[in-house]
Amino acid sequence: MDNITLGRYIPLDSPVHRLDPRAKIGAMLLMLIAIFIPAGWIGYAIIFAVVTFMVFLSKLSFTYIWKSMKPMLFMLVFLLIINVLVVHTGTVWLELGPIKVYSDAVIQTLYIVVRLLLMIMITTCLTATTKPLDMTLGIEDLLQPFEKIGVPSHEIAMLISIALRFIPDLIDETGRIMKAQESRGVDLKEGKLNEKIMAILSLIVPLFVSAFQRAEDLANAMEARGYQPGVRRTRYKVLKLKGPDYLLLAGAVLVLACMIWLAYFK
Amino acid sequence: MPIRFEKVSHVYSDGTPFRYVALEDVDLEIREGAFTAVIGQTGSGKSTLVQHLNALLLPSSGTVYVMDRQIIAGTEPKKLKSLRKDVGLVFQFPEYQLFEETVLKDVAFGPKNFGASPEEANKLAREALRKTGLDETFEERSPLELSGGQKRRVAIAGILAMKPKVLVLDEPTAGLDPAGAKKMMELFASLHKEGTTVIMVTHDMEQVFRYCEEVIVMENGKPKIQTDIKTFFRDSSLCRELNILPPALIRMKDALREKGYTVSDDTVDIKTLAKEIARQVKSHG
Ligand SMILES: Nc1ncnc2c1ncn2[C@@H]1O[C@H](COP(=O)(O)OP(=O)(O)O)[C@@H](O)[C@H]1O
Ligand SMILES: [Mg+2]
Repeated sequence: MDNITLGRYIPLDSPVHRLDPRAKIGAMLLMLIAIFIPAGWIGYAIIFAVVTFMVFLSKLSFTYIWKSMKPMLFMLVFLLIINVLVVHTGTVWLELGPIKVYSDAVIQTLYIVVRLLLMIMITTCLTATTKPLDMTLGIEDLLQPFEKIGVPSHEIAMLISIALRFIPDLIDETGRIMKAQESRGVDLKEGKLNEKIMAILSLIVPLFVSAFQRAEDLANAMEARGYQPGVRRTRYKVLKLKGPDYLLLAGAVLVLACMIWLAYFK
Repeated sequence: MPIRFEKVSHVYSDGTPFRYVALEDVDLEIREGAFTAVIGQTGSGKSTLVQHLNALLLPSSGTVYVMDRQIIAGTEPKKLKSLRKDVGLVFQFPEYQLFEETVLKDVAFGPKNFGASPEEANKLAREALRKTGLDETFEERSPLELSGGQKRRVAIAGILAMKPKVLVLDEPTAGLDPAGAKKMMELFASLHKEGTTVIMVTHDMEQVFRYCEEVIVMENGKPKIQTDIKTFFRDSSLCRELNILPPALIRMKDALREKGYTVSDDTVDIKTLAKEIARQVKSHG
Protein backbone atom coordinates (compact mmCIF):
# COMPACT_ATOMS: atom_id res chain seq x y z
CA MET A 1 0.00 0.00 0.00
CA ASP A 2 2.94 2.31 0.55
CA ASN A 3 3.95 2.22 -3.04
CA ILE A 4 0.96 3.65 -4.78
CA THR A 5 2.45 6.57 -6.59
CA LEU A 6 0.01 6.93 -9.45
CA GLY A 7 -1.81 10.22 -9.32
CA ARG A 8 -0.14 11.70 -6.27
CA TYR A 9 0.92 15.30 -5.98
CA ILE A 10 4.66 15.74 -5.53
CA PRO A 11 5.47 19.02 -3.85
CA LEU A 12 8.42 20.44 -5.77
CA ASP A 13 9.23 23.87 -7.06
CA SER A 14 9.43 23.83 -10.82
CA PRO A 15 8.17 25.90 -13.76
CA VAL A 16 5.59 23.19 -14.44
CA HIS A 17 4.32 23.32 -10.87
CA ARG A 18 3.76 27.05 -11.25
CA LEU A 19 1.66 26.78 -14.41
CA ASP A 20 -2.03 27.54 -14.32
CA PRO A 21 -4.04 24.35 -13.72
CA ARG A 22 -6.46 25.23 -16.52
CA ALA A 23 -3.61 25.49 -18.99
CA LYS A 24 -2.21 22.17 -17.76
CA ILE A 25 -5.55 20.40 -17.98
CA GLY A 26 -6.18 21.88 -21.44
CA ALA A 27 -2.73 20.88 -22.66
CA MET A 28 -3.16 17.40 -21.24
CA LEU A 29 -6.45 16.92 -23.09
CA LEU A 30 -4.87 18.11 -26.33
CA MET A 31 -1.92 15.77 -25.88
CA LEU A 32 -4.20 12.83 -25.09
CA ILE A 33 -6.10 13.47 -28.28
CA ALA A 34 -2.79 13.70 -30.13
CA ILE A 35 -1.82 10.24 -28.90
CA PHE A 36 -4.87 8.71 -30.51
CA ILE A 37 -4.21 10.16 -33.91
CA PRO A 38 -2.57 7.46 -36.01
CA ALA A 39 0.55 9.41 -36.86
CA GLY A 40 2.91 6.45 -36.83
CA TRP A 41 6.19 6.05 -35.08
CA ILE A 42 7.50 9.49 -36.04
CA GLY A 43 4.47 10.99 -34.34
CA TYR A 44 5.06 9.01 -31.18
CA ALA A 45 8.70 9.97 -31.21
CA ILE A 46 7.73 13.64 -31.30
CA ILE A 47 5.20 13.27 -28.49
CA PHE A 48 7.67 11.29 -26.46
CA ALA A 49 10.32 13.97 -26.89
CA VAL A 50 7.91 16.72 -25.86
CA VAL A 51 6.65 14.81 -22.82
CA THR A 52 10.15 13.87 -21.73
CA PHE A 53 11.05 17.53 -21.91
CA MET A 54 8.04 18.34 -19.69
CA VAL A 55 9.00 15.68 -17.16
CA PHE A 56 12.50 17.11 -17.14
CA LEU A 57 11.16 20.64 -16.61
CA SER A 58 8.90 19.49 -13.78
CA LYS A 59 11.92 18.07 -11.89
CA LEU A 60 10.11 14.76 -11.37
CA SER A 61 12.57 11.93 -11.35
CA PHE A 62 12.27 9.39 -14.13
CA THR A 63 12.49 6.55 -11.62
CA TYR A 64 9.33 7.97 -10.07
CA ILE A 65 7.54 7.89 -13.42
CA TRP A 66 8.81 4.38 -13.97
CA LYS A 67 7.44 3.35 -10.58
CA SER A 68 4.00 4.67 -11.35
CA MET A 69 3.99 2.61 -14.54
CA LYS A 70 5.01 -0.64 -12.91
CA PRO A 71 1.47 -1.69 -11.96
CA MET A 72 0.66 -1.62 -15.68
CA LEU A 73 3.36 -4.11 -16.60
CA PHE A 74 1.24 -7.08 -15.70
CA MET A 75 -1.57 -5.78 -17.87
CA LEU A 76 0.80 -5.33 -20.77
CA VAL A 77 2.12 -8.85 -20.58
CA PHE A 78 -1.46 -10.05 -20.52
CA LEU A 79 -2.22 -7.93 -23.58
CA LEU A 80 0.73 -9.34 -25.46
CA ILE A 81 -0.42 -12.88 -24.79
CA ILE A 82 -3.94 -12.13 -25.96
CA ASN A 83 -2.69 -10.40 -29.08
CA VAL A 84 -0.36 -13.27 -29.91
CA LEU A 85 -3.23 -15.70 -29.62
CA VAL A 86 -5.76 -13.63 -31.53
CA VAL A 87 -3.91 -11.70 -34.23
CA HIS A 88 -2.94 -13.84 -37.17
CA THR A 89 -1.94 -11.31 -39.83
CA GLY A 90 1.41 -10.17 -41.13
CA THR A 91 4.42 -12.42 -41.31
CA VAL A 92 5.31 -15.14 -38.86
CA TRP A 93 8.19 -13.96 -36.71
CA LEU A 94 8.50 -16.77 -34.25
CA GLU A 95 7.21 -20.28 -33.82
CA LEU A 96 6.85 -21.66 -30.33
CA GLY A 97 5.56 -25.15 -30.86
CA PRO A 98 1.91 -24.83 -31.90
CA ILE A 99 1.89 -21.06 -31.33
CA LYS A 100 2.87 -18.79 -34.17
CA VAL A 101 3.78 -15.22 -33.33
CA TYR A 102 2.80 -12.87 -36.11
CA SER A 103 4.43 -9.52 -36.74
CA ASP A 104 1.14 -7.62 -36.42
CA ALA A 105 0.52 -9.05 -32.98
CA VAL A 106 3.80 -7.68 -31.72
CA ILE A 107 3.44 -4.36 -33.50
CA GLN A 108 -0.10 -3.83 -32.25
CA THR A 109 0.96 -4.60 -28.71
CA LEU A 110 3.85 -2.21 -29.05
CA TYR A 111 1.45 0.51 -30.20
CA ILE A 112 -0.68 -0.03 -27.14
CA VAL A 113 2.33 -0.09 -24.87
CA VAL A 114 3.64 3.16 -26.27
CA ARG A 115 0.25 4.83 -26.05
CA LEU A 116 -0.24 3.73 -22.46
CA LEU A 117 3.24 4.81 -21.55
CA LEU A 118 2.69 8.24 -23.04
CA MET A 119 -0.71 8.58 -21.41
CA ILE A 120 0.71 7.78 -18.02
CA MET A 121 3.58 10.18 -18.50
CA ILE A 122 1.24 12.95 -19.55
CA THR A 123 -1.28 12.46 -16.77
CA THR A 124 1.50 12.12 -14.21
CA CYS A 125 2.92 15.39 -15.46
CA LEU A 126 -0.43 16.94 -14.55
CA THR A 127 -1.32 15.19 -11.30
CA ALA A 128 2.16 15.22 -9.82
CA THR A 129 2.63 18.93 -10.40
CA THR A 130 -0.84 20.25 -9.56
CA LYS A 131 -2.23 20.47 -6.05
CA PRO A 132 -5.59 18.70 -5.82
CA LEU A 133 -7.20 21.94 -4.80
CA ASP A 134 -5.81 23.82 -7.80
CA MET A 135 -6.91 20.98 -9.99
CA THR A 136 -10.51 21.33 -8.87
CA LEU A 137 -10.40 25.09 -9.27
CA GLY A 138 -9.19 24.49 -12.80
CA ILE A 139 -11.91 21.94 -13.51
CA GLU A 140 -14.55 24.23 -12.10
CA ASP A 141 -13.43 27.06 -14.34
CA LEU A 142 -13.25 24.88 -17.39
CA LEU A 143 -16.78 23.61 -16.74
CA GLN A 144 -18.14 27.12 -16.20
CA PRO A 145 -19.26 27.62 -19.83
CA PHE A 146 -21.42 24.50 -19.55
CA GLU A 147 -23.36 25.91 -16.63
CA LYS A 148 -25.80 27.47 -19.09
CA ILE A 149 -26.90 24.04 -20.20
CA GLY A 150 -27.40 22.95 -16.61
CA VAL A 151 -24.03 21.48 -15.69
CA PRO A 152 -23.48 22.17 -11.97
CA SER A 153 -19.80 23.05 -12.35
CA HIS A 154 -19.21 24.02 -8.73
CA GLU A 155 -20.83 20.87 -7.38
CA ILE A 156 -18.88 18.69 -9.77
CA ALA A 157 -15.65 20.39 -8.75
CA MET A 158 -16.57 19.97 -5.08
CA LEU A 159 -17.30 16.28 -5.65
CA ILE A 160 -13.98 15.77 -7.37
CA SER A 161 -12.04 17.62 -4.73
CA ILE A 162 -13.68 15.62 -1.95
CA ALA A 163 -12.98 12.38 -3.76
CA LEU A 164 -9.36 13.38 -4.32
CA ARG A 165 -9.08 14.49 -0.74
CA PHE A 166 -10.17 11.08 0.52
CA ILE A 167 -8.14 8.83 -1.75
CA PRO A 168 -4.96 8.91 0.37
CA ASP A 169 -7.02 8.52 3.54
CA LEU A 170 -8.84 5.50 2.20
CA ILE A 171 -5.59 3.96 1.00
CA ASP A 172 -4.13 4.43 4.48
CA GLU A 173 -7.28 3.05 6.04
CA THR A 174 -7.19 0.00 3.77
CA GLY A 175 -3.61 -0.64 4.83
CA ARG A 176 -4.53 -0.31 8.47
CA ILE A 177 -7.50 -2.65 8.29
CA MET A 178 -5.50 -5.14 6.26
CA LYS A 179 -2.84 -5.22 8.94
CA ALA A 180 -5.41 -5.53 11.70
CA GLN A 181 -7.04 -8.51 9.99
CA GLU A 182 -3.70 -10.07 9.18
CA SER A 183 -3.00 -9.93 12.89
CA ARG A 184 -6.10 -12.07 13.31
CA GLY A 185 -4.75 -14.67 10.95
CA VAL A 186 -6.26 -13.49 7.68
CA ASP A 187 -4.12 -14.53 4.78
CA LEU A 188 -4.89 -12.40 1.76
CA LYS A 189 -2.55 -14.30 -0.51
CA GLU A 190 -3.23 -17.94 0.16
CA GLY A 191 -6.13 -20.05 1.34
CA LYS A 192 -9.18 -21.79 -0.03
CA LEU A 193 -11.88 -19.95 -1.90
CA ASN A 194 -14.23 -19.55 1.08
CA GLU A 195 -11.33 -18.34 3.20
CA LYS A 196 -10.46 -15.83 0.52
CA ILE A 197 -14.04 -14.59 0.44
CA MET A 198 -13.98 -14.19 4.22
CA ALA A 199 -10.67 -12.35 3.96
CA ILE A 200 -12.07 -9.91 1.44
CA LEU A 201 -15.23 -9.40 3.48
CA SER A 202 -13.16 -8.68 6.57
CA LEU A 203 -11.52 -5.91 4.59
CA ILE A 204 -14.48 -4.46 2.72
CA VAL A 205 -17.00 -4.24 5.54
CA PRO A 206 -14.82 -2.15 7.87
CA LEU A 207 -13.71 -0.03 4.93
CA PHE A 208 -17.30 0.79 4.03
CA VAL A 209 -18.21 1.46 7.63
CA SER A 210 -15.35 3.87 7.99
CA ALA A 211 -15.97 5.52 4.62
CA PHE A 212 -19.60 6.20 5.56
CA GLN A 213 -18.50 7.45 8.94
CA ARG A 214 -16.05 9.85 7.30
CA ALA A 215 -18.67 11.01 4.83
CA GLU A 216 -21.08 11.75 7.64
CA ASP A 217 -18.44 13.58 9.66
CA LEU A 218 -17.51 15.68 6.67
CA ALA A 219 -21.13 16.47 5.85
CA ASN A 220 -21.72 17.56 9.43
CA ALA A 221 -18.59 19.66 9.48
CA MET A 222 -19.56 21.36 6.23
CA GLU A 223 -23.08 22.05 7.38
CA ALA A 224 -21.84 23.35 10.72
CA ARG A 225 -19.81 25.89 8.81
CA GLY A 226 -22.79 26.95 6.75
CA TYR A 227 -22.03 25.27 3.46
CA GLN A 228 -24.90 25.47 1.02
CA PRO A 229 -24.72 24.01 -2.43
CA GLY A 230 -25.74 26.18 -5.32
CA VAL A 231 -24.84 29.46 -3.68
CA ARG A 232 -22.60 31.82 -5.62
CA ARG A 233 -19.32 32.16 -3.76
CA THR A 234 -16.26 34.26 -4.23
CA ARG A 235 -12.79 32.86 -4.37
CA TYR A 236 -9.70 33.49 -2.39
CA LYS A 237 -7.46 32.37 -5.18
CA VAL A 238 -8.12 33.85 -8.59
CA LEU A 239 -6.55 32.03 -11.50
CA LYS A 240 -4.94 34.09 -14.21
CA LEU A 241 -3.26 32.83 -17.36
CA LYS A 242 0.27 34.15 -17.85
CA GLY A 243 2.91 33.96 -20.55
CA PRO A 244 4.15 30.41 -19.86
CA ASP A 245 0.57 29.14 -19.75
CA TYR A 246 -0.08 30.42 -23.26
CA LEU A 247 3.23 28.94 -24.33
CA LEU A 248 2.20 25.53 -22.99
CA LEU A 249 -1.16 25.64 -24.73
CA ALA A 250 0.42 26.80 -27.96
CA GLY A 251 2.93 23.96 -27.71
CA ALA A 252 0.17 21.40 -27.19
CA VAL A 253 -1.82 22.79 -30.14
CA LEU A 254 1.32 22.61 -32.25
CA VAL A 255 1.90 18.96 -31.33
CA LEU A 256 -1.70 18.13 -32.13
CA ALA A 257 -1.50 19.94 -35.48
CA CYS A 258 1.71 18.12 -36.21
CA MET A 259 0.07 14.74 -35.58
CA ILE A 260 -2.91 15.60 -37.76
CA TRP A 261 -0.58 16.65 -40.56
CA LEU A 262 1.49 13.48 -40.21
CA ALA A 263 -1.60 11.29 -40.22
CA TYR A 264 -3.76 12.83 -42.90
CA PHE A 265 -1.90 15.31 -45.08
CA LYS A 266 1.55 13.96 -45.60
CA MET B 1 13.24 -16.39 25.11
CA PRO B 2 13.51 -12.61 25.05
CA ILE B 3 12.43 -10.54 22.06
CA ARG B 4 15.40 -8.94 20.40
CA PHE B 5 15.89 -6.23 17.79
CA GLU B 6 19.29 -6.22 16.17
CA LYS B 7 20.22 -3.18 14.09
CA VAL B 8 16.66 -2.93 12.83
CA SER B 9 15.80 -0.12 10.45
CA HIS B 10 12.49 0.49 8.77
CA VAL B 11 12.09 2.74 5.77
CA TYR B 12 8.62 3.62 4.47
CA SER B 13 8.01 4.20 0.75
CA ASP B 14 11.63 3.56 -0.11
CA GLY B 15 12.61 4.75 -3.55
CA THR B 16 9.87 7.37 -3.80
CA PRO B 17 9.95 11.04 -2.91
CA PHE B 18 7.99 10.07 0.24
CA ARG B 19 10.84 7.93 1.60
CA TYR B 20 10.83 8.09 5.38
CA VAL B 21 13.15 6.41 7.84
CA ALA B 22 10.85 5.51 10.73
CA LEU B 23 13.28 3.24 12.62
CA GLU B 24 17.02 3.58 12.52
CA ASP B 25 19.44 0.94 13.77
CA VAL B 26 17.27 -0.13 16.67
CA ASP B 27 18.88 -2.46 19.20
CA LEU B 28 16.52 -3.64 21.90
CA GLU B 29 15.80 -6.50 24.20
CA ILE B 30 12.42 -7.17 25.75
CA ARG B 31 12.32 -9.65 28.59
CA GLU B 32 9.96 -12.61 28.32
CA GLY B 33 7.07 -12.31 30.74
CA ALA B 34 7.63 -8.62 31.40
CA PHE B 35 5.10 -5.81 31.14
CA THR B 36 6.93 -3.30 28.96
CA ALA B 37 5.79 0.21 28.13
CA VAL B 38 6.79 1.92 24.90
CA ILE B 39 6.52 5.67 25.18
CA GLY B 40 7.60 8.64 23.09
CA GLN B 41 6.17 11.49 21.11
CA THR B 42 3.77 11.02 18.22
CA GLY B 43 5.73 10.08 15.13
CA SER B 44 8.68 8.71 17.10
CA GLY B 45 8.19 5.26 15.61
CA LYS B 46 6.35 3.39 18.37
CA SER B 47 3.70 1.86 16.14
CA THR B 48 6.28 1.01 13.52
CA LEU B 49 8.37 -0.70 16.16
CA VAL B 50 5.61 -2.87 17.57
CA GLN B 51 4.33 -3.92 14.15
CA HIS B 52 7.61 -5.73 13.64
CA LEU B 53 6.75 -8.07 16.49
CA ASN B 54 4.27 -10.11 14.47
CA ALA B 55 5.91 -9.41 11.12
CA LEU B 56 3.21 -7.09 9.86
CA LEU B 57 6.12 -4.90 8.96
CA LEU B 58 9.40 -6.45 7.95
CA PRO B 59 12.69 -4.77 8.74
CA SER B 60 14.35 -2.91 5.88
CA SER B 61 17.59 -4.03 7.43
CA GLY B 62 18.54 -5.93 10.57
CA THR B 63 16.90 -8.85 12.36
CA VAL B 64 14.05 -9.27 14.83
CA TYR B 65 14.06 -12.33 17.10
CA VAL B 66 10.62 -13.22 18.45
CA MET B 67 9.86 -16.46 20.27
CA ASP B 68 11.95 -19.01 18.39
CA ARG B 69 11.73 -17.19 15.08
CA GLN B 70 13.96 -14.84 13.20
CA ILE B 71 12.62 -12.13 10.99
CA ILE B 72 15.49 -11.16 8.74
CA ALA B 73 15.43 -8.22 6.36
CA GLY B 74 14.97 -9.30 2.78
CA THR B 75 13.73 -12.82 3.46
CA GLU B 76 10.18 -14.07 3.49
CA PRO B 77 9.48 -14.95 7.14
CA LYS B 78 8.71 -18.59 7.84
CA LYS B 79 5.87 -19.89 9.96
CA LEU B 80 4.20 -16.52 9.67
CA LYS B 81 0.78 -17.74 10.65
CA SER B 82 1.87 -19.37 13.87
CA LEU B 83 3.85 -16.25 14.73
CA ARG B 84 0.70 -14.16 14.32
CA LYS B 85 -1.13 -16.54 16.63
CA ASP B 86 1.56 -16.37 19.28
CA VAL B 87 1.98 -12.62 19.08
CA GLY B 88 -1.40 -10.92 19.37
CA LEU B 89 -1.35 -7.33 18.20
CA VAL B 90 -4.11 -4.92 19.14
CA PHE B 91 -4.04 -1.89 16.88
CA GLN B 92 -4.71 1.65 17.82
CA PHE B 93 -8.50 2.14 17.57
CA PRO B 94 -9.06 -1.57 16.93
CA GLU B 95 -12.83 -1.08 16.78
CA TYR B 96 -12.42 -0.38 13.06
CA GLN B 97 -11.60 -4.00 12.37
CA LEU B 98 -15.01 -5.39 13.36
CA PHE B 99 -16.98 -6.78 10.46
CA GLU B 100 -18.99 -9.87 11.41
CA GLU B 101 -22.75 -9.98 11.93
CA THR B 102 -22.50 -10.82 15.59
CA VAL B 103 -20.06 -10.08 18.37
CA LEU B 104 -19.46 -13.76 19.03
CA LYS B 105 -18.68 -14.48 15.37
CA ASP B 106 -16.30 -11.56 15.20
CA VAL B 107 -14.36 -12.64 18.25
CA ALA B 108 -14.26 -16.24 17.01
CA PHE B 109 -12.86 -15.08 13.67
CA GLY B 110 -9.24 -15.13 14.85
CA PRO B 111 -9.24 -18.60 16.40
CA LYS B 112 -11.02 -19.96 13.31
CA ASN B 113 -8.34 -18.53 11.06
CA PHE B 114 -5.77 -20.30 13.15
CA GLY B 115 -7.47 -23.62 12.66
CA ALA B 116 -9.80 -23.97 15.65
CA SER B 117 -13.03 -25.87 15.04
CA PRO B 118 -16.23 -23.78 15.19
CA GLU B 119 -17.10 -25.12 18.68
CA GLU B 120 -13.60 -24.51 19.98
CA ALA B 121 -13.55 -21.05 18.45
CA ASN B 122 -16.88 -20.17 20.06
CA LYS B 123 -15.65 -21.43 23.40
CA LEU B 124 -12.48 -19.35 23.15
CA ALA B 125 -14.54 -16.37 22.02
CA ARG B 126 -16.90 -16.65 25.01
CA GLU B 127 -13.97 -16.89 27.39
CA ALA B 128 -12.33 -13.84 25.86
CA LEU B 129 -15.56 -11.86 25.98
CA ARG B 130 -16.04 -12.64 29.68
CA LYS B 131 -12.49 -11.48 30.34
CA THR B 132 -13.17 -8.16 28.69
CA GLY B 133 -16.33 -7.83 30.74
CA LEU B 134 -18.97 -8.45 28.08
CA ASP B 135 -21.67 -10.91 29.17
CA GLU B 136 -23.70 -13.30 27.01
CA THR B 137 -26.31 -10.65 26.17
CA PHE B 138 -23.74 -9.13 23.83
CA GLU B 139 -22.95 -12.30 21.93
CA GLU B 140 -25.72 -12.10 19.36
CA ARG B 141 -25.66 -8.34 18.87
CA SER B 142 -24.13 -6.66 15.86
CA PRO B 143 -20.72 -5.23 16.73
CA LEU B 144 -21.51 -2.16 14.67
CA GLU B 145 -24.32 -1.03 16.96
CA LEU B 146 -22.25 -1.02 20.16
CA SER B 147 -20.79 2.03 21.86
CA GLY B 148 -17.19 2.99 21.19
CA GLY B 149 -15.92 1.49 24.45
CA GLN B 150 -17.83 -1.74 23.93
CA LYS B 151 -16.52 -2.05 20.39
CA ARG B 152 -13.01 -1.62 21.71
CA ARG B 153 -13.58 -4.47 24.16
CA VAL B 154 -14.93 -6.73 21.43
CA ALA B 155 -11.88 -5.97 19.30
CA ILE B 156 -9.51 -6.74 22.15
CA ALA B 157 -11.42 -9.92 22.91
CA GLY B 158 -10.88 -10.83 19.26
CA ILE B 159 -7.15 -10.89 19.91
CA LEU B 160 -7.33 -12.49 23.36
CA ALA B 161 -9.36 -15.35 21.91
CA MET B 162 -6.25 -16.35 19.98
CA LYS B 163 -4.53 -17.01 23.32
CA PRO B 164 -1.36 -15.16 22.37
CA LYS B 165 1.79 -15.67 24.39
CA VAL B 166 2.90 -12.15 23.63
CA LEU B 167 0.31 -9.39 23.72
CA VAL B 168 1.17 -6.17 21.92
CA LEU B 169 -1.10 -3.19 22.56
CA ASP B 170 -0.91 0.05 20.60
CA GLU B 171 -2.46 2.78 22.74
CA PRO B 172 -5.23 0.47 23.94
CA THR B 173 -6.94 2.99 26.20
CA ALA B 174 -6.79 6.05 23.93
CA GLY B 175 -10.19 7.68 23.87
CA LEU B 176 -11.73 5.53 26.61
CA ASP B 177 -13.37 6.99 29.71
CA PRO B 178 -11.21 6.75 32.87
CA ALA B 179 -13.25 3.93 34.40
CA GLY B 180 -13.18 1.93 31.18
CA ALA B 181 -9.46 2.53 30.80
CA LYS B 182 -8.82 1.35 34.34
CA LYS B 183 -10.77 -1.87 33.77
CA MET B 184 -8.86 -2.46 30.59
CA MET B 185 -5.51 -1.96 32.31
CA GLU B 186 -6.54 -4.32 35.08
CA LEU B 187 -7.30 -6.95 32.46
CA PHE B 188 -3.87 -6.56 30.91
CA ALA B 189 -2.25 -6.70 34.34
CA SER B 190 -4.04 -9.97 35.11
CA LEU B 191 -2.98 -11.47 31.78
CA HIS B 192 0.55 -10.43 32.61
CA LYS B 193 0.27 -12.18 35.97
CA GLU B 194 -0.82 -15.32 34.17
CA GLY B 195 2.48 -15.24 32.28
CA THR B 196 1.74 -13.30 29.11
CA THR B 197 4.46 -10.99 27.87
CA VAL B 198 2.78 -7.62 27.46
CA ILE B 199 4.14 -4.75 25.38
CA MET B 200 2.08 -1.60 25.48
CA VAL B 201 2.40 1.69 23.64
CA THR B 202 0.97 4.47 25.77
CA HIS B 203 1.07 8.18 26.53
CA ASP B 204 -0.28 7.78 30.05
CA MET B 205 2.52 7.97 32.62
CA GLU B 206 0.18 6.97 35.44
CA GLN B 207 -0.42 3.66 33.63
CA VAL B 208 3.27 3.16 33.03
CA PHE B 209 4.03 3.84 36.67
CA ARG B 210 1.28 1.66 38.04
CA TYR B 211 1.30 -1.38 35.77
CA CYS B 212 4.54 -1.65 33.82
CA GLU B 213 7.93 -3.06 34.75
CA GLU B 214 10.13 -1.82 31.94
CA VAL B 215 10.11 1.32 29.81
CA ILE B 216 11.37 1.97 26.32
CA VAL B 217 11.48 5.61 25.31
CA MET B 218 11.43 6.15 21.56
CA GLU B 219 12.75 9.32 19.99
CA ASN B 220 13.13 9.95 16.26
CA GLY B 221 13.05 6.28 15.39
CA LYS B 222 15.55 5.21 18.03
CA PRO B 223 15.15 3.88 21.54
CA LYS B 224 16.55 6.69 23.61
CA ILE B 225 16.21 5.01 26.98
CA GLN B 226 15.51 1.45 28.01
CA THR B 227 15.30 0.79 31.69
CA ASP B 228 13.13 -0.57 34.49
CA ILE B 229 10.36 1.45 36.05
CA LYS B 230 12.15 1.99 39.34
CA THR B 231 15.13 3.63 37.71
CA PHE B 232 12.94 5.56 35.34
CA PHE B 233 10.80 7.07 38.08
CA ARG B 234 13.51 7.35 40.77
CA ASP B 235 12.86 11.04 40.66
CA SER B 236 11.30 13.31 38.11
CA SER B 237 14.56 14.41 36.48
CA LEU B 238 14.43 11.86 33.67
CA CYS B 239 10.82 12.72 32.91
CA ARG B 240 11.58 16.43 32.87
CA GLU B 241 14.51 15.84 30.58
CA LEU B 242 12.16 14.02 28.20
CA ASN B 243 9.47 16.68 28.56
CA ILE B 244 7.01 14.26 30.11
CA LEU B 245 4.75 15.10 33.01
CA PRO B 246 5.77 12.63 35.75
CA PRO B 247 3.11 10.61 37.61
CA ALA B 248 1.37 12.45 40.43
CA LEU B 249 3.10 10.43 43.14
CA ILE B 250 6.54 11.27 41.78
CA ARG B 251 5.65 14.93 41.61
CA MET B 252 4.40 14.67 45.20
CA LYS B 253 7.68 13.09 46.29
CA ASP B 254 9.62 15.84 44.56
CA ALA B 255 7.59 18.53 46.26
CA LEU B 256 8.12 16.85 49.64
CA ARG B 257 11.85 16.62 49.07
CA GLU B 258 11.91 20.29 48.25
CA LYS B 259 10.27 20.98 51.60
CA GLY B 260 13.08 19.08 53.32
CA TYR B 261 11.50 15.68 53.89
CA THR B 262 13.48 12.56 53.11
CA VAL B 263 11.57 10.20 50.84
CA SER B 264 12.82 6.79 49.80
CA ASP B 265 13.28 6.12 46.10
CA ASP B 266 11.54 2.79 46.57
CA THR B 267 8.25 4.25 47.73
CA VAL B 268 5.77 3.64 44.94
CA ASP B 269 2.39 3.90 46.62
CA ILE B 270 0.59 6.66 48.39
CA LYS B 271 0.02 4.77 51.67
CA THR B 272 3.71 4.04 52.27
CA LEU B 273 4.51 7.61 51.39
CA ALA B 274 1.92 8.90 53.85
CA LYS B 275 3.36 6.72 56.62
CA GLU B 276 6.88 7.88 55.85
CA ILE B 277 5.88 11.51 56.07
CA ALA B 278 3.78 10.96 59.19
CA ARG B 279 6.79 9.45 60.92
CA GLN B 280 8.94 12.43 60.06
CA VAL B 281 6.30 14.96 61.07
CA LYS B 282 5.90 13.24 64.46
CA SER B 283 9.61 12.99 65.21
CA HIS B 284 10.08 16.69 64.43
CA GLY B 285 7.17 17.51 66.71
N1 LIG C 1 2.63 3.80 5.96
C1 LIG C 1 3.48 4.83 6.16
N2 LIG C 1 4.07 5.44 5.11
C2 LIG C 1 4.92 6.46 5.29
N3 LIG C 1 5.26 6.95 6.47
C3 LIG C 1 4.71 6.41 7.56
C4 LIG C 1 3.79 5.31 7.47
N4 LIG C 1 3.40 4.97 8.72
C5 LIG C 1 4.05 5.81 9.55
N5 LIG C 1 4.83 6.67 8.86
C6 LIG C 1 5.69 7.71 9.43
O1 LIG C 1 6.63 7.11 10.29
C7 LIG C 1 6.79 7.87 11.46
C8 LIG C 1 6.58 7.01 12.67
O2 LIG C 1 5.25 6.62 12.71
P1 LIG C 1 4.64 5.75 13.87
O3 LIG C 1 5.46 4.54 14.04
O4 LIG C 1 3.19 5.57 13.57
O5 LIG C 1 4.83 6.72 15.13
P2 LIG C 1 4.10 6.71 16.54
O6 LIG C 1 3.31 5.46 16.68
O7 LIG C 1 5.23 6.82 17.52
O8 LIG C 1 3.25 7.93 16.57
C9 LIG C 1 5.81 9.02 11.37
O9 LIG C 1 6.52 10.19 11.03
C10 LIG C 1 4.86 8.64 10.28
O10 LIG C 1 4.46 9.76 9.56
MG1 LIG D 1 1.22 5.17 16.88
